[in-house]
Amino acid sequence: MLSYIIRRILILPLILLGVTFLIFCLFSLLSPMERLATYINDPSVLKNPQSAQRLIDKYHLDEPFPSGYVHWLKSLLRFDFGWSPTANQPVWEAIMQRLPATMELVLYSIIPVILVGIWLGVISAVHHNDILDQFIRVTAIIGWSLPTFIFGLLILFIFYGMLGWLPPGRLSTWAQYIVYAEEGFKNYTYFITIDSLLNGRLDIFWDALKHLIGPIITLSYISWAYLLRITRSSMLETLRKDYIRTARSKGVDEKTVIHQHARKNAMIPVVTVAGMMIIRMLGGVVITETVFTYPGLGFWAASSAQQLDYGSIIGFALLFAFLMVVGNLIVDVSYALIDPRVRLE
Amino acid sequence: MVNDNKTKILQVKDLKTYFFTENGIVKAVDGVDFEIYQGETLGLVGESGCGKSVTAFSIVKLLDYPGKTVGGQVFFRGEDLLKKNEKQMRQIRGKEISLIFQEPMTSLNPVFTIGFQITEALKVHYKISKPKAQEKAVQLLKKVDIPIPEQRINEYPHQLSGGMRQRAMIAMALACDPVLLIADEPTTSLDVTIQAQILELMKTLLKEFNSSLIMITHDLGVIAEIADRIAVMYAGKIVEYTDTRSIFYNPLHPYTYGLLTSIPRLDMDIEKLDSIPGLVPDPLHFPEGCKFHPRCPFATAKCRKEEPVLKEVENKHLVRCWHFEKVKEEAKKIAFTGRLAVSE
Repeated sequence: MLSYIIRRILILPLILLGVTFLIFCLFSLLSPMERLATYINDPSVLKNPQSAQRLIDKYHLDEPFPSGYVHWLKSLLRFDFGWSPTANQPVWEAIMQRLPATMELVLYSIIPVILVGIWLGVISAVHHNDILDQFIRVTAIIGWSLPTFIFGLLILFIFYGMLGWLPPGRLSTWAQYIVYAEEGFKNYTYFITIDSLLNGRLDIFWDALKHLIGPIITLSYISWAYLLRITRSSMLETLRKDYIRTARSKGVDEKTVIHQHARKNAMIPVVTVAGMMIIRMLGGVVITETVFTYPGLGFWAASSAQQLDYGSIIGFALLFAFLMVVGNLIVDVSYALIDPRVRLE
Repeated sequence: MVNDNKTKILQVKDLKTYFFTENGIVKAVDGVDFEIYQGETLGLVGESGCGKSVTAFSIVKLLDYPGKTVGGQVFFRGEDLLKKNEKQMRQIRGKEISLIFQEPMTSLNPVFTIGFQITEALKVHYKISKPKAQEKAVQLLKKVDIPIPEQRINEYPHQLSGGMRQRAMIAMALACDPVLLIADEPTTSLDVTIQAQILELMKTLLKEFNSSLIMITHDLGVIAEIADRIAVMYAGKIVEYTDTRSIFYNPLHPYTYGLLTSIPRLDMDIEKLDSIPGLVPDPLHFPEGCKFHPRCPFATAKCRKEEPVLKEVENKHLVRCWHFEKVKEEAKKIAFTGRLAVSE
């Protein structure tokens, strides 16, 4: 088991290297001057050919492929991702500033995805073809077929536009003032829901939560709907297996049969799909944050793309590639935890 | 019957299990009677689809949807199992009646260790502690001749060979010293050499545990090894029911006779192996009269109209056929000449 995990971790840098190579290939399609534009915060420098050439030399932008790639990699290792005009700050700083907001959204979204998706999937399978099952399935199909941006707009329209319950953004103005400007408010995790509780500010916690619910529902709906479908069909298949009958023949009660004998087996394909869902969710972050003007990485990436802000887009792509590779590692490890047959290969 | 002096463990009376499918009612088991005494082995023989497995699952009430037992009684130590609810049945399953299944690979859960699966019944029925259960698992694996049991209990089913897995299945079934074992084709998926070992093991263990066994199989060779009595099933009904010796030396039903002549034998000079002509009838459209008549070389006009009843025609030899005397004569001929009078 341990050697399996170590092997997976050792492959990780290789995959990341491949990702950087692909991104560099795309990056090389730009002229040295265009690439230089991603590194500077003052566009007027570009107008002076001499100073521009000096900077091109400094960043090794017109060197041929191998050395240019190596120099670019080195700059990445120094966290020098360039300058983001969209955020008006260095790309790395822009990422680090927005990462907590996005992580807060994604991590909270995983909770309904796993709880609701797997739980309802199991219930749906156990109540196969009942009214309850039909209802759950219809809900899932709607979630699965509704585009994120339309669903997000619907949520915003109903719960903000009509009812005024779930406002867009991350915090109300009064709360922003306290969180970002006041001396007394300490940031421990940069997750506002957690920091507000640590600071004993229930009003800010409530405000942050209200802003999070809409994006969480939007981001997670498609994922839990999909996970539910997979769990349901996998559970139905597992419940027909011979070893389920064996368990029943030993006098094991139905609850244990379903939640221990069947579910553990049914989770094997579900975990595989979870890897795909991480990709889905990271993509969904861009749309969800844009719809809700939630100030995270996705919102920033969408604005950068509209403004041809290459530096930010590359930084965003690298970060998401990294998150995805790590996500897949977690999936592989949990795969081995569930299925002993994987472990020993 | 044979063992009047022994305790009767199980008595099945007029058991009827139907499957209510979209296309109609399938009478998988349609009025089956038999009984088993302590320490005795009953063989339930028949082609696939004749209702032998459904009979077994009806006894422990583990039928798959849409199967339902619609009539009859199953007396287990004097109590009718069909009247018991699910909770009461759970207390019997695995503790007093256990099952051994056909495919040990698919019948063992791939994600739990052998040790866990063997001791699960113990934990369910006796609430014993983990180290004690572990100890018992090692003992059980030793009983079924699995080498290095201390190591095996921590292994997963895919790490064991087919024969080992079936041994583990047997250990699992024996965990709570059951009164009655039901084995559903336990040797079918195994190599012939392993089959013989498993049968030998089962015979030894049955004697040791003094358990009764219902052995379900389509393989008459297997049944000859292990059974005291045999019930031959065809199309949901028992067609012949007597002791093992009589089945082999004095078959009275044309179906039994057909099964016997289709066994390959080295001790006889047979050029062509016989098979029973035709197919198992479609359970939705059983023929009228005797259900075997379309495939029966002895069939007459009477067979097409009237269904025979299962009756005792010789001493403790029950048969469901109008023409059992003809079959008896025919069977004698084979035994005498060692050669079949092949029916056209």
